[in-house]
Amino acid sequence: MSDFSEELIRPTTEDEQEEPHVPSGTGMCLPWLQKHIETIATGGKQEKDFAQTTSACLSLIQEALLKHQWQRAAEYMHSYFQILEDSDSNKRQIAPEIIWRLGSEILYYHPKSNVETFNTFADRMKNIGVMNYLKISLQHALYLLHHGMLEDANRNLSQAETWRYGEKSSSQEVLINLIQAYKGLLQYYIWSKKKMELSQLDEDDYAYNTASQNMLNHSWKTSINLCALIQIPGVWDPFVKSYVEMLEFYGDQDGAREVLTNYAYDEKFPSNPNAHIYLYNFLKREKAPREKLISVLKILYQIVPSHKLMLEFHRLLRKSENEEHHKLGLEVLFGVLDFAGCTKNITAWKYLAKYLRQTLMGSHLAWVQEEWNSRKNWWPSFHFSYFRAKSDWKEDKALACEKALVAGLLLGKDCRYFRNISKQDHQVLKKKIKQMKKSVKKYSIVNPGL
Amino acid sequence: MDFPSSLPPSLFTTGPLGLSDVPDVSFMCSWRDALTLPESLPQGPENAAPHVAKGLLWEPDTPGPLPLLPPGPDPWDPGVTAQDLLFRGGYQFRRQPQAVLDVTEQVSGPTVRSATRPGLCLVTWPPFLLQLSRFLWDHGDIAFAPLGKLMLENFKLEGARGRSKKKTVVSVKRLLQDLGGHQPWGCPWAYLSHRQRRFSILGGPILSTSVASLLGELLHEELALRWEQLLLDDAFTGGALAWVPGRTPRAGQLVYPAGGALDRLYFQKVSLTPGSEPRVLGGPGHIRLRGPVRQVVTHTVQGEALLAVRSDYHCALWKVSKQGQPAPLQVLQVEKGATGISLSPHLPGELAICSRSGAICLWNPQDGLRQIYKDPETLVFRDPSPWRWADFTAHPRVLTVGDRTGVKMVDTQGPPGCGLLLFRGGAEASCQKGERVLLTQYLGECGPECLHPTLHLICTQFSLYLVDERLPLVPLLKWNHGLPSAPLLARLLPPPRTGLPRPLLLAGQGGELQLLHVAGEGASTPRLAGPPQSLPSRSDSLSAFPLLEPKSQWRLQERLKAPAIGLAAAIPPSASTPVLSLFQLSAAGDVFHQRLHLQGEPGPDSPAPTASWTPQATASCSRWLKALLEVPPAPPVWAAPTFSHRRLLGCFEPQKAEGKAPEGLRTAMAKGRLLQPRDLGLLPTEERAPAPEPGPEDELSERLEAAWEGQAAAWWERRRGSGSGPGKQPKRHKRRTQLSSTFSSLSGRLDLSDAASPPPSPERTLPEARPQPPVTPPAQESTQELWARGVPSERQQTLRDYMAELPLRGDAPGAASVPSSQASSVRATPSRQRAAVRPGSQPHWKKPRMGF
Repeated sequence: MSDFSEELIRPTTEDEQEEPHVPSGTGMCLPWLQKHIETIATGGKQEKDFAQTTSACLSLIQEALLKHQWQRAAEYMHSYFQILEDSDSNKRQIAPEIIWRLGSEILYYHPKSNVETFNTFADRMKNIGVMNYLKISLQHALYLLHHGMLEDANRNLSQAETWRYGEKSSSQEVLINLIQAYKGLLQYYIWSKKKMELSQLDEDDYAYNTASQNMLNHSWKTSINLCALIQIPGVWDPFVKSYVEMLEFYGDQDGAREVLTNYAYDEKFPSNPNAHIYLYNFLKREKAPREKLISVLKILYQIVPSHKLMLEFHRLLRKSENEEHHKLGLEVLFGVLDFAGCTKNITAWKYLAKYLRQTLMGSHLAWVQEEWNSRKNWWPSFHFSYFRAKSDWKEDKALACEKALVAGLLLGKDCRYFRNISKQDHQVLKKKIKQMKKSVKKYSIVNPGL
Repeated sequence: MDFPSSLPPSLFTTGPLGLSDVPDVSFMCSWRDALTLPESLPQGPENAAPHVAKGLLWEPDTPGPLPLLPPGPDPWDPGVTAQDLLFRGGYQFRRQPQAVLDVTEQVSGPTVRSATRPGLCLVTWPPFLLQLSRFLWDHGDIAFAPLGKLMLENFKLEGARGRSKKKTVVSVKRLLQDLGGHQPWGCPWAYLSHRQRRFSILGGPILSTSVASLLGELLHEELALRWEQLLLDDAFTGGALAWVPGRTPRAGQLVYPAGGALDRLYFQKVSLTPGSEPRVLGGPGHIRLRGPVRQVVTHTVQGEALLAVRSDYHCALWKVSKQGQPAPLQVLQVEKGATGISLSPHLPGELAICSRSGAICLWNPQDGLRQIYKDPETLVFRDPSPWRWADFTAHPRVLTVGDRTGVKMVDTQGPPGCGLLLFRGGAEASCQKGERVLLTQYLGECGPECLHPTLHLICTQFSLYLVDERLPLVPLLKWNHGLPSAPLLARLLPPPRTGLPRPLLLAGQGGELQLLHVAGEGASTPRLAGPPQSLPSRSDSLSAFPLLEPKSQWRLQERLKAPAIGLAAAIPPSASTPVLSLFQLSAAGDVFHQRLHLQGEPGPDSPAPTASWTPQATASCSRWLKALLEVPPAPPVWAAPTFSHRRLLGCFEPQKAEGKAPEGLRTAMAKGRLLQPRDLGLLPTEERAPAPEPGPEDELSERLEAAWEGQAAAWWERRRGSGSGPGKQPKRHKRRTQLSSTFSSLSGRLDLSDAASPPPSPERTLPEARPQPPVTPPAQESTQELWARGVPSERQQTLRDYMAELPLRGDAPGAASVPSSQASSVRATPSRQRAAVRPGSQPHWKKPRMGF
């Protein structure tokens, strides 16, 4: 607290006026602090006229963009280019990035803009302020890709790939990797187009050979392009997916497995559920043993217990001979149904009702109680309230029946949900409800003696 | 639940904030989100183009929001501004050191040190000491009254019991109590008891230092607090306005605090009609609370509408019945102060409360209150802010716990203290230096089918992040909001129509509003559909109000600019174009409303239609304004001391027979209003005020003309001669007699230098900057009265002003010379003349001491 005034002095010390944001005493940057200070600014260094005009122009552009007035924004943008002539080298240096960011946005949304306009603008911007060459090239390529111009995008990326400026910095390297990866992705698109053509051709056809030859070439190029980036920590789902698909196509199963394993298990990478899902799907295609599949899904279960693959996981566990796996199977089902987004998942409820009965029949009461202990104080109001019984019955009668069985088994026949559903009169479900009552009477954990 | 089958590529780096070496892959570009990568080629990138309309736009019906409810009866004070707290420059003070009280020399070390550095600081030393010494003189009661209490806390003053009390022993405790209790306003010398006098002699040496250090420290702390609050007032984080849906989707209740201290919680029934402005049904019901309401949260869980309210030290929970009647469920006290409250979207009646101490508590009807997390330290790095926040997640037993540095997911059933970081203020989210979390909100409460129910919104002063709790640390979406104030309010709304993206409203403390379209469900990633748009803020409504005189205009402007403390929105079902009803609550307690309708894709050439004010809108604004101007303005924090005149003037009881004039004067004085002719018992005359005289202007042009011809000196000579000589212009004579005849007791010296001098300007603090009147001719100088002698020249005018206000006894020179025939012709002028010297325009000079 004591040094806040000290901190506050900083912005006005001569050369730091350029700082866009002023820190407050707590180390927090407050973009609006400058505004407060300006309200009382009477003496001291004033911003130059030109700087004031450019910042006013910038805010006008931003305002127009937020009001979707593309035409007006474009007009202001026309004037804003003047900032490139600013005598302040600092401002001159950051100007191209701002111009590109705003300009590309205007051109992207402007009703009268077209690909040619965008191309011209992008090509010009690439060469103003060389530091942005790579970023702009990449975004330009994405724009072209988005407009279906794969060839142009590819050419663009190839140009950028070979571009060098000064000493190769680490950020430049990452960008070049990214550009190569996108190029690889483009080649993958071309490849997969060819693959589709190939599938329509007859194998004995002469054209088949040339086509497959073409594909081989592509694959080789792509692998080089893609593999550099996916070593760097990050989320690279589209790249990994396409790379693995190509590797698999050419029979390099080991290579594909290595890529996926690395992507899923490297600790430097963020814990991306998709990495595990891709690996699981690959192993499934490879017809890997059940144990292997279970071990992959076990990790996914730790990260995302609500994933829809968990039901598949449960099936695997149920089929397993291992007693531990049977217990885990129950845990997984309870885990799925904990989540707000899964409360109406009828498959999960069906599995739980069936498996709960089965477990209780198999006299594993302790397992059920272990799971139930941590849930007994909130599941009743979360799943089995009177309101839920009414709304479930109204929306989905099958779901209500499954849930009622679970409720009866876990809470006894006196629970509101079970009572409410069991007294419903329904022609088709009559038999089911009767069965349900019988099961509850026999296996409910509340009165295990009966 | 589905997980996005392919996430957008992003680089993952770990490290502190502002790590600049890594390229920002998102490029902070809004259209990048539109460029979703095609999943595979067979569908073709052409088909993978985003199906979301480019021109998705909510068009406001009027250029700005309209007041929904009449303004409250309590005045509103905007509080301190930057001008009140900041001091810039200070050079002139250092060049001319001013005498200050010794006492204040030692006040607060930091400010003393800061004075050695140039430029701007909160309070620099010399002016601060000057101010403090003035403060001690002028507000002795405020300065010293708490002192007694403070010292009582800090000293052990009671001697051993049973010791015989002699007359020489002073009970210090009593003295200190006296210090606090018995001082009348304003005058430190009144009621100075013998005891206190003795005490001041005895305790003088100690007191002189302790007063300074205690008071200075507290004052500094208070100033710092006010400054921090001005920069970021996080008390209203989350917003204090809630829309409680009623029985039908078109009816509902607005719940908001109002009243001067925001301590009344109002329940106003409102019905929404797609075709017209919302209708207010009946008067609001209200509940009076014990503190200002900071946050109002509502949720309808399993058909039960619940309402949670956070005050500074209390939190309360109500259940709102189907008829809209609130029934209290629980009140909780938070000793260290509550910073956030949230209601569970899963379990009815469950709520989480955050305390300044770093504790997060969970309350539910079954188990009562339970502390689930406590850490006085911040999550990622050290930050001094005690602000904490908690919200729910897709798992009813997992909560997010947030502070300025990050957000963590905590399992309430797991071992205490452990959990995964959901968001880290650092390189993972490519945060800037100095970036801090200002708001976190769980977005998954609106039903599972439209958006991932696992999304969380995190706002910092620069950007907005969408984070999925299944993929912690990696934001799925980042957007630079560029709001010019702290984004403390956000609301996610259900999609206006199936298939359309969901509107996400974001409001800054300054009242700026932004609307984002968030799309992405099932297997696709959440992204921004179309460019975000800004919505009109309350200050955009100024043009709907009639033009006012400057003071009222300023008041209106200030009112419209009041900070935003609440945001609520509803989309009533409608057959045609979806309509969004947006409600805003300001710190002044005003509820404003704005209707927006969704525009389809406009043609490439058709310009967006611009909204304009309807006659109904301007009429309702005028009505609101009329009610606002009837509210008396907020009284000043400090008013001039009022003495009991009964005591002072006890012996001069007014005699009844004195006639109407003194009585009228007395009432005018007592009420502090303008003295009107009828108060003095004079009948209003039909005569008009004399036409404006070509007085000073003419002189000026004359003088300029002379100067142009190089004869300025001659002109001046001529003027002097005519001014002091007997052949004085009849006009000037008339002016003077006008004045003197109005206030019959005034001296004729009022217009000593009136001809060329401007009316006394309020900027007295810069005497050299003021246009100087010509040097007073010696002839006039000599005629000055005795009272003016020895008074610094710059104060003479003030004294004159005071003299003008006080009807002095005795005949002043000049009064006798007034021709009685002119007396009646000038009665209409005093209001104009007096207006120039009304005390209101010169707050600096109205202290009574000056007149004594």
